[in-house]
Amino acid sequence: MAILTPGRIVPLLALILVWVAVYIAINMGKEGKIKVRRIAGLDAIEEVVGRSVEMGRPVFDIIGMGTFTDSYATQTVAGLSILNYVAGLSARLGAELIAPQAKVDVMPVAIELVRDAYNVEGKLDELNVDEQLPYLSGTQFAWASGIIGMAARRRPAGNIMIGPFWAESMMFAETFDRIGAMQVGGTARTYQIPFFAALCDYCLIGEEIFAAGAYVSGDPAQIGTIAAQDWYKLAAIALSIVGALLSTVGVNIIAELLSR
Amino acid sequence: MDYKRDIPLAITFIVGVIAIGDYYTGIEAVTQTFNVIKNWGIVLQGFALGLGAVNLFRVHGRRLSARKEGTDWYFSGWLLLMLVVFIGLGLVTGEYEQGATYSWLYNAIYLPLGSTMYSSLAFYMAYGAYKVLRARNFDAALLFITAVLVIFGNTPIFPAIYPGFFHMREWIFGPIVSGAYRGVRIGIGIGAVVLGIKTLIGMETGYLGRR
Repeated sequence: MAILTPGRIVPLLALILVWVAVYIAINMGKEGKIKVRRIAGLDAIEEVVGRSVEMGRPVFDIIGMGTFTDSYATQTVAGLSILNYVAGLSARLGAELIAPQAKVDVMPVAIELVRDAYNVEGKLDELNVDEQLPYLSGTQFAWASGIIGMAARRRPAGNIMIGPFWAESMMFAETFDRIGAMQVGGTARTYQIPFFAALCDYCLIGEEIFAAGAYVSGDPAQIGTIAAQDWYKLAAIALSIVGALLSTVGVNIIAELLSR
Repeated sequence: MDYKRDIPLAITFIVGVIAIGDYYTGIEAVTQTFNVIKNWGIVLQGFALGLGAVNLFRVHGRRLSARKEGTDWYFSGWLLLMLVVFIGLGLVTGEYEQGATYSWLYNAIYLPLGSTMYSSLAFYMAYGAYKVLRARNFDAALLFITAVLVIFGNTPIFPAIYPGFFHMREWIFGPIVSGAYRGVRIGIGIGAVVLGIKTLIGMETGYLGRR
């Protein structure tokens, strides 16, 4: 029996290569050699929380319905990174954060993150977990209607949605838009990106949400990893172009190589 | 050494490496180990569900007894009632998994409510389309024209009058949309891989807090 699964040898090599690239990028980041462009959507998060403070209304942070065990786990982790950041900002600036929860395995982590952020700011006594991180439902439209109802009653000044979303994305974006909340939306679910792009004030498209944690941390080493993402993308573009040109002249070497 | 931070990071790394090993190799021991870990996950989720139910009773029972003005305490009452109904039903009928009575409750209550919510999406989409399809600048005008062409291509009467609408729609969905879609998909895939690696090596600690 082969040690390596057939058809997954090249992907494994690619994984090792990206691992090396991340390592190099981290070191370059530490040396201050990497600069990243500004991402307007992530810069706007502080504005959203600030607006909530000024208006004396809550700010919502919705991380979606993903879990740690499905294929959207990375998006859930990205959403949790932002939740931690938003909780820190809310505690520091004095905004009321509301982060409704949908999944039983993600909820305890979310609670710990928010608690941790409030603790770091020395505002743990201001956090009411039961009211600020309520469990609504694990079922899509029950969860959606719960959030829509809360939004209509509480009329938040801001809404941040980063994570995996399904059909409920449109409902959230439209409801919060109708009540005049400033919105930042981001997902890597390609069918939902247009909904956020249509109705949110700022939209994070696809991969930008994976860079969010590193970006808001401001840590040079983490920012370096965003560069690794870009190097890999450049390699993918180069492979695509070379592969397309070779296939056009009847040489399928790239396609065959990638299928090994 | 910060045990609250380092132990979860070590667990993440070990489990992550085993998961990678399971996917890329055919080593039986690795696959079996990963299956055991996945089973642990299921057991933990079961405990979380049980604790969640207890927590729901605690949180909503308190809200119901307080009945503070401005809070939606009546929903807490409804939630507790339904929890009691479902638990009671399971105990009385012995249908701990899917059964006829549960199915009836689901079909009579949740299904029509869920369908109503889902069908209301049409109106949400119409609102979204109205907001976005206003030719305020060149980009918006381009989007507007594309959307109109796609609507014409999708609505049977227009291709019946002029078949070119259908071909235009196909062309928009093919070279233009597919190309852009694949670009976004590649970016998402790479972003997810890099985030996964960062999580494995302990660089991405968003799920642990930022202490």
